Amino acid sequence: MNSSDAVREGLIPLLPRLRRLARALAGQVADADDLVQIVLERSLARAAQWRPDAALDKWVFAIARNAWRDELRARGRSQHLFAPQEAGEMAADGASAQPAQQLELTMALAALPPDHREVVALVLVEGMSYGEAAELLEVPVGTVTSRLARARATLQAHLGKDA
Amino acid sequence: MNPIDDETLQAYVDGELDQPRAARIDAALAHDAALARRVQQARDLRAQLRAAFDPVLDEPAPARLSALLQPRSAQTEIPATPSVLPVDGRGISTTRRRATRRWFVPGAALAASVALLAVALWWWQPGDDLVRMQGGQSFAAGALTHALDETLASEPDAHAPVAIGLSFRSTDGRICRTFVLRSPPARAGLACHNDAGWSLPVLSAVTPPEGGGELRQAASDLPPEVQAAVDARLRGNVFDAQQERAARDAGWRPLPSLRGAGKR
Repeated sequence: MNSSDAVREGLIPLLPRLRRLARALAGQVADADDLVQIVLERSLARAAQWRPDAALDKWVFAIARNAWRDELRARGRSQHLFAPQEAGEMAADGASAQPAQQLELTMALAALPPDHREVVALVLVEGMSYGEAAELLEVPVGTVTSRLARARATLQAHLGKDA
Repeated sequence: MNPIDDETLQAYVDGELDQPRAARIDAALAHDAALARRVQQARDLRAQLRAAFDPVLDEPAPARLSALLQPRSAQTEIPATPSVLPVDGRGISTTRRRATRRWFVPGAALAASVALLAVALWWWQPGDDLVRMQGGQSFAAGALTHALDETLASEPDAHAPVAIGLSFRSTDGRICRTFVLRSPPARAGLACHNDAGWSLPVLSAVTPPEGGGELRQAASDLPPEVQAAVDARLRGNVFDAQQERAARDAGWRPLPSLRGAGKR
């Protein structure tokens, strides 16, 4: 089996997690699946660079994070992938209606600066350790910790009112 | 005692503190209500994020994404026993051809098609009370619920109608178990425990081995769509016999956050 087949087969079971990560990063369903498409295409195109002893999920998630950053830059809106008023569309967009509090939370997440949003997506949504996230983002663990703490404080402020 | 700063507290909740420091917070929690509240808030936030995004795992993937992962020469790599739905005893070869295409569809898309399959199986076998529908989702019923509740894979019963395979903690904290229904039409699936019972994100037809041999259990020859559903949810190891028994004795309640509560 060549490396492109190995990567393609490895991507099949990863697709649900990749879509979840993309949703946390990009917010809207359509944006998230566009991002996933870019990630799948890049992963297949770069399959030769993947070493079978490296975890495929981390390799693919790093591609996803970088593709998302590229997309943000291309759109020239580094703070918001989409305008806040569009966020309300996510409810109608999603496969099922989210409870109001979850919608509020996803909107608050989408409004975070990209540095904060990506640590939340990697650690709190995908479940990576601080060390794994730091490696993927190529920053010190302390940076992950402080960004995550600030992101949490912002998100908690949105939830705290009714907690 | 010094006040605990936000970064230490979050490291505690995320399971990133070393044992001595985590133990100190454990001890402080008992008599510090404000600290306990902050820990609870941080845990709630984690749980709410998971609740907001984990459903994506069960959404069917758009065809344009699945299509990218189709092998160019799919037909040459098909395993010998694809899932075949025995509709009426004829037409197996045509269903087999269609079923083989499903083989390569990613797990989330399969979850949807398999949910339909579950409905179909339920519909065709009104007397077979193993699956019930609730709110558009499939749940275990009857003997399947009983087996999921009671049976330990470490104490297999070759004559039981349901064989239990792996048990593990899902990424969202719920406990999931794979199973095989031995009575024809044989089916394999994944069940995850929640307040409403055992939900069945995947239920799939299984082809018995050629020659009519007994359907072997379970974990080693899961259909790929079931395996993909396991892979999407599994983090860490599957339970050993002792953990499986402990989980049963705890009523299959969700385990607290992997990182947050391992220390308690």
